[in-house]
Amino acid sequence: MTQLQAGPPHPAASPGTSPHGGEVTKQARVRVLSVLVEDGSNTLSKISGLIRRRGFHVRSISVGPSPQPGRSRMTLTVDAGHAETDQVRKQLERLVEVIEIEDVTGEDVHSRELVVAKVKASQVAGLVERGAKVLNTGAEGTTVEFAGEGKDVGDFIDELMRHGVLDVARSGPVVMRRTA
Amino acid sequence: MILEALEREGVEVIFGYPGGANLPIYQHLHEHPKLKHILVRHEQGAAHMADGYARACGKPGVVFATSGPGALNLVTGLCTAYMDSVPMIAITGQVNSTQVGRDAFQESDVIGATSSVTKHSYLVTHIDQLPRVIHEAFHIATTGRPGPVLIDICKDVQQANAEPVTPERLDIPGYQPNGHVNLDMARTAAHALASAERPVILAGHGVLLSHAEQELFKFAEKAAAPVGTTLLGIGAFPVNHPLSLHMTGFMGTGWNLKAVQNADVLMMVGMRVDDRVTAKLADFAPNVKTFIHVDIDGSEMGKNVRPHIELVADARNALEAMTPHVGEVDAGRGKWLAQIDAWREEHPLKYTHSNGHLQPQDVLIDMYRRCRSEAIVVADVGQNQIWAALWWNYDRPGLFINSGGAGTMGFALPAAIGAKVARPDKAVWCVAGEGGFVMTAQELSVAVEQNLDIKIVILNNFSLGMVRQFQDDFYGGVRSQVDMTVIPDFVKLADAYGLPGIRVDTLEQVGPAMDAAEKTKGPFLIDFRIDPEANVYPIVPLGKSLNDFWEAPDK
Repeated sequence: MTQLQAGPPHPAASPGTSPHGGEVTKQARVRVLSVLVEDGSNTLSKISGLIRRRGFHVRSISVGPSPQPGRSRMTLTVDAGHAETDQVRKQLERLVEVIEIEDVTGEDVHSRELVVAKVKASQVAGLVERGAKVLNTGAEGTTVEFAGEGKDVGDFIDELMRHGVLDVARSGPVVMRRTA
Repeated sequence: MILEALEREGVEVIFGYPGGANLPIYQHLHEHPKLKHILVRHEQGAAHMADGYARACGKPGVVFATSGPGALNLVTGLCTAYMDSVPMIAITGQVNSTQVGRDAFQESDVIGATSSVTKHSYLVTHIDQLPRVIHEAFHIATTGRPGPVLIDICKDVQQANAEPVTPERLDIPGYQPNGHVNLDMARTAAHALASAERPVILAGHGVLLSHAEQELFKFAEKAAAPVGTTLLGIGAFPVNHPLSLHMTGFMGTGWNLKAVQNADVLMMVGMRVDDRVTAKLADFAPNVKTFIHVDIDGSEMGKNVRPHIELVADARNALEAMTPHVGEVDAGRGKWLAQIDAWREEHPLKYTHSNGHLQPQDVLIDMYRRCRSEAIVVADVGQNQIWAALWWNYDRPGLFINSGGAGTMGFALPAAIGAKVARPDKAVWCVAGEGGFVMTAQELSVAVEQNLDIKIVILNNFSLGMVRQFQDDFYGGVRSQVDMTVIPDFVKLADAYGLPGIRVDTLEQVGPAMDAAEKTKGPFLIDFRIDPEANVYPIVPLGKSLNDFWEAPDK
C-alpha cells in the first residue's frame, strides 16, 4: 500500500505557505534547475516566456552546448513567485523543447560561477592570491578571471569593489552533481 | 506536399482563408478533392470552427491562414482551444525565409505571438523539415493532453519542389505523454473513495477527452459515490442519474456545492481545479481529508489544490484500474446519499416566470423537450452559456460544446458550424446572447454557403447580461457600458445573409417558432426577446466561498 503524502492539502498556491503547511523561507522559493533542451530558434524564448507567464522570476540563466549534438544544457535559477515551488519544474517539463529536467536545489552539487573583471594593475597581486587568474595586462588595466561557488564569487566581487574595479562581468551558476 | 501530408494524416476538412503568404498552398487545393475547404469570413471564425469540429468528432480541426493579420486573427481561437485542451492544427503562411526579420509586407512574429496559446509550434524554413514537422504536429496535438499546434511555413518552402517523403518514425525526446497508471496509487485511491463517509467525484473535460464516461459510470456506481461535473465536463455523467450532482463551481447547483463543501474525500478527475470551480480557494472543500487528483498533465497536481493521492494518467486507464479495487463501500453511504437528496430538494434549480417577460429557461426547456439527446448544443459565453448548461438534461457525452477556460464571446456560431460539419447526422443548436453573436455574425455566410442545418437561438436581452448582473450584484449596482440597445434587427440581418429568421416576444410564440426552425432544412435564426432582468442562479458572489451561493429569489 502506498503511503499517503503528508500535509494539509490546500490552498496549494498560497504565498508563504509550503505544501506541508509551514512557512516557506524566501530561499526555498528559489529553485536551481539543470535542464537539457533541444536547440532551436524558439527554445530560449519559450522557456523565458513560460517563466514569465506563470509568475516565476529568472534569477540567473546559463546556456551552453551539451556533448549531444543539437542539444544544450541550461542552468536556471528561478524564483517560484506565488506558485508552489515544484510548479517550476512541472511547467518546464511540459515544453516539447525540454528533454530532461532536474531540480538540484539543495542537492550535493558543484556550482560554479565565473567573473571577469578589469582592475588597476596595482591591485592584481592580492587578487591572484585569492585565486584569480590574469588574462591580460595593458595600459588601461589588468583583466582577471575568477571562478567559484556563488558565495566565493560574491566575496571576490566585494573585494574588487573595495579596490576600485574598472569593469566587471559575472555569469550565473552552472551546476553538476558531485560524483559519489 | 503540405496537402498530401494532410491527406496522409486523415484530414477531411480545412477551415481557412487565403492570402499573400499562403497562395502556393491554395494554388494546388483543387488537386485534392478529398480535402474539403470551407472558406470562412474571418480567421477567428476558422479557428472556432476547427475547435467546434474537433470537440464534436474528436478529430483535430485544421485551419489555414495567411501571414501577419491572418495568422494573428487566429490567436483568440488558438487560446480558446488551448485552454480547453482541444486538438487543432493551424497552418499559417509566413513570408519568404530570406525576408524573415526584415518587416516584410504582412510579416509578423506568429511563433512569438502564439507560443503561450499553443501546445507547440514550428517555423518551417526548409522543405526538408516539412514531412517530419507535419507528422509530429498531429501527434502532439492529439495525444496526451490535447491542444493546438501551429505550423508557420515560409512561402518559399510552400513553393519548393521535393519528392513527397513518408516521415520516418516519430522521435520527439521531449514529448513523452504518460498514460501509464501507478497501480498502487489506483488501489489506494479506490479504497480511499469507497471507504469514505462522504465522498464526491468531480469530473472534468479530461473524462470526455479520454472517452472515460463508461469507466466513470461503473466506478461511481460500484463505489456509490455521487458525481458532479465541471462546466466542460458536462456529459461525463448523466444528469438525471440518482448519483448526479450536476454542475459544480461558482454557478453550480446548490446540492452540488453543499456536497463538495461537506465531502470528506474528493476525487477530481480530468480537471484543472480552476478558480471557477473552487471559488475562494482557501475555503474550497474545507472538510476534505483526502484529495485525490487524476489528470494526464502532471503540472495540474498541486497547481491549485495539493492532492494527497495523485494519479498522473489518462482518465480512462486510471478509472479502469481503480474499479476492481473499490471493495466494500462505507456503511454510512446511504445516509450521505440521503443527505444529498435532501439538499437537492432544498436547493432546486428555479427561475421566475411570471413577470410578463419571456424567460430564457422557458426557451431552453422547450428546446430540450424537442431534441433531448439528439442535438448538440453549442453555447456562447455569458448568461446564455450557464442557462444552456443547467437547463438541459445532458445524459451523454458530446452534446454540449462551449468555451469554458478562455470564455471567448463569439465562439458559438462558428463552433456550431464546425460541429455541424463534423456531425451532419446530429441536429445542432447554437445558443448565444446578442452581444457574443454580433462578434462573429459574419460567419452566417458560411452557414448559408454550406447550407448547414443549424438552429441559431439568440437569447436577446439587449444587454451584456452577465456583466450587467455582476454590476448589479457585486459592483454597487452601477450599470456601466452594458447596454446593447443599438444592434441590428436580427431577422433583417438573417434576411440580408440569406437565411430565414423569426422574432419571438412571448412564451406562446416559442413553440411555433421552434416548429418553423425544425421544419426548415438549413440555417434558421430565432431572435428571442427575453427578460432584460433575467439572472443566472445559483451564483457565488465574487471572492466568496462556495458555501455562500445565492439562489434565485422566490419571486
